[in-house]
Amino acid sequence: MTTQRIGEIIESSTTRFTAGAYELLAAPSFGALVRAVTRSEGLAVYGLVYEIRTGSREPGGRAVVRGRTYSGRELYDEEIYTENPDLAEVLQTEFSALTVGFAERDAIHQYLPPQPPPVHYSVYACDAAELVRFTAHNDFFRAVLFATPIPGDELLAAAIRAAAQARPDRREYLVRAGRDLATLLKDDYDRLAALLRRIRP
Amino acid sequence: MGLDLAALSKQVRELSGAAVQSAAGAAERAALALGRYLEAAGEERHWAQAVDLSRETASWLLARPVERLDTTRDLPACPPAYAVVATDGSQIDLDRHGSVACYLINIGHVFIRYGQRPTARLGSRPALYYREEDLYVSDGARRVPIEGNYLSARRDVEEGLALAELAATSLDGTLPALALQDGTLVRWTLAGAERFVQERFLGQYLSYLERMRALGVPTASYISRPRSPEVIGTIRLMFCPDVDVAAGRGARCSECSDARAGREPSCALCQGLVDADVVGSRLAEGQRGPLFVSMSTINIERYGPHCIHFFHLRVGREVCRVEIPWWVASAPEQVDLVHSLVYDQCLRGGGYPVALARAHEQAVIRAADRRAFERMLAGSLARAEAGGSVSAKRESKEFSRL
Repeated sequence: MTTQRIGEIIESSTTRFTAGAYELLAAPSFGALVRAVTRSEGLAVYGLVYEIRTGSREPGGRAVVRGRTYSGRELYDEEIYTENPDLAEVLQTEFSALTVGFAERDAIHQYLPPQPPPVHYSVYACDAAELVRFTAHNDFFRAVLFATPIPGDELLAAAIRAAAQARPDRREYLVRAGRDLATLLKDDYDRLAALLRRIRP
Repeated sequence: MGLDLAALSKQVRELSGAAVQSAAGAAERAALALGRYLEAAGEERHWAQAVDLSRETASWLLARPVERLDTTRDLPACPPAYAVVATDGSQIDLDRHGSVACYLINIGHVFIRYGQRPTARLGSRPALYYREEDLYVSDGARRVPIEGNYLSARRDVEEGLALAELAATSLDGTLPALALQDGTLVRWTLAGAERFVQERFLGQYLSYLERMRALGVPTASYISRPRSPEVIGTIRLMFCPDVDVAAGRGARCSECSDARAGREPSCALCQGLVDADVVGSRLAEGQRGPLFVSMSTINIERYGPHCIHFFHLRVGREVCRVEIPWWVASAPEQVDLVHSLVYDQCLRGGGYPVALARAHEQAVIRAADRRAFERMLAGSLARAEAGGSVSAKRESKEFSRL
């Protein structure tokens, strides 16, 4: 697996981990599958990105508006970063991922790993092949639906859409996912209907 | 029991009242001083001589004019791409009541490049000093502890050496560049020090300036809201009845003729004024005032080719002071470069040079960091079974006896 290293764990627990992105504003998308390596060779932890935030590296620090300079020049968006290269050093983009399983040598498990990924270990983006491989089974749906206090339904819908995108048999995958969701949410029709609307092909 | 705020509030109100009165008086006197100063425009050579004649006998600081006194130089065009390096330091002073003799200096360093290939590198490097030669300056017979003012002098040296190192490794000479420090380049705190102490710190400090000169990187320091009255000292000479340049006589405050005649000295109207009040009032946004030489004894006697010059610069509501060594001041295009780059840095930093603000952020040791350092030190000493304990005074401050 030779995908790109995108960040480094800065907070870690059994059920979720947070990584700092190496490049400012370059976090994986909401619902993206990411892989964190661990101290055991061949054991990698998978997570779904459920929160992305950018702010000051200093505790308590806040950004100030910079689009109108003292001399009256107007700066827009990316220009502000070009004109203030130090910003990339004092701001940090972080993303948090909900742990949904792990890979142990060739096997994929959709339950919690024995150990969370260690702080400062690398986080990689998963490519389409890896996403397809991880989402071959839907056992992780349950963990996402019942995770709190994150937007679990939104997260699962985003993950399902991404997994469908990565496959040639998109429709078939969505139908299978919809069926599994219906089983999980058989007691809550409204919630199921809302979720199905979010993944409708 | 801490601060009795009720008792304090009355005194604070009295202070506010006094501040209003003194500000009104000062504005009037500043206008008079400015009038006299402008009359002297064109006579810079004369007043430079007066300054030289009075240097040792006047009881105030002085500044020798280098350019016409009524100079107001417009902001030169800022180069589209440039690089800036800056350092700043902070320290944890020797704690006499602590368990072991040591002090800490943390140097923040900043490199920022603007233009086509914008980039920035910020960082900090702490150093712990505990060896005999770090704790004391010695000439064999005498031993002076490095603490208080001397520790600040050591920090200034470390900031300078770090800046030279940063300039040597980060600047490749392809872009206009500026090396920036906070505060003054004149190490006047060393003026009263014993010769061997001065020798040690000033020697290292001047070697840093020498290295910057060899690298060809214009070096400047930035003083926000300067309080120095050096130009004011020169204006005092203009009011002084005793100055007679033709006769080779400067101001001799110990023999002030006004005082002898029982009058208030003519220069008294300059009391409490600062340079920025007078020179700054003539500057429009981005303009700089004339160049002066700072006449501090240490600068004149010890700095040689690095003799510190300064000018004032208007940035928004503030008039700042920018100091540069002679080898920058003597090249007009370098002065223009410093002028435009310092101003650009202030614009980007909302009134204060962004590189210095970042360097400070990197260097600052917060209370939590300080506590963590103290715990780390105490823990390590305990594990090493190094013995030592805090003083009874320190212990009594940390735990009140109930």
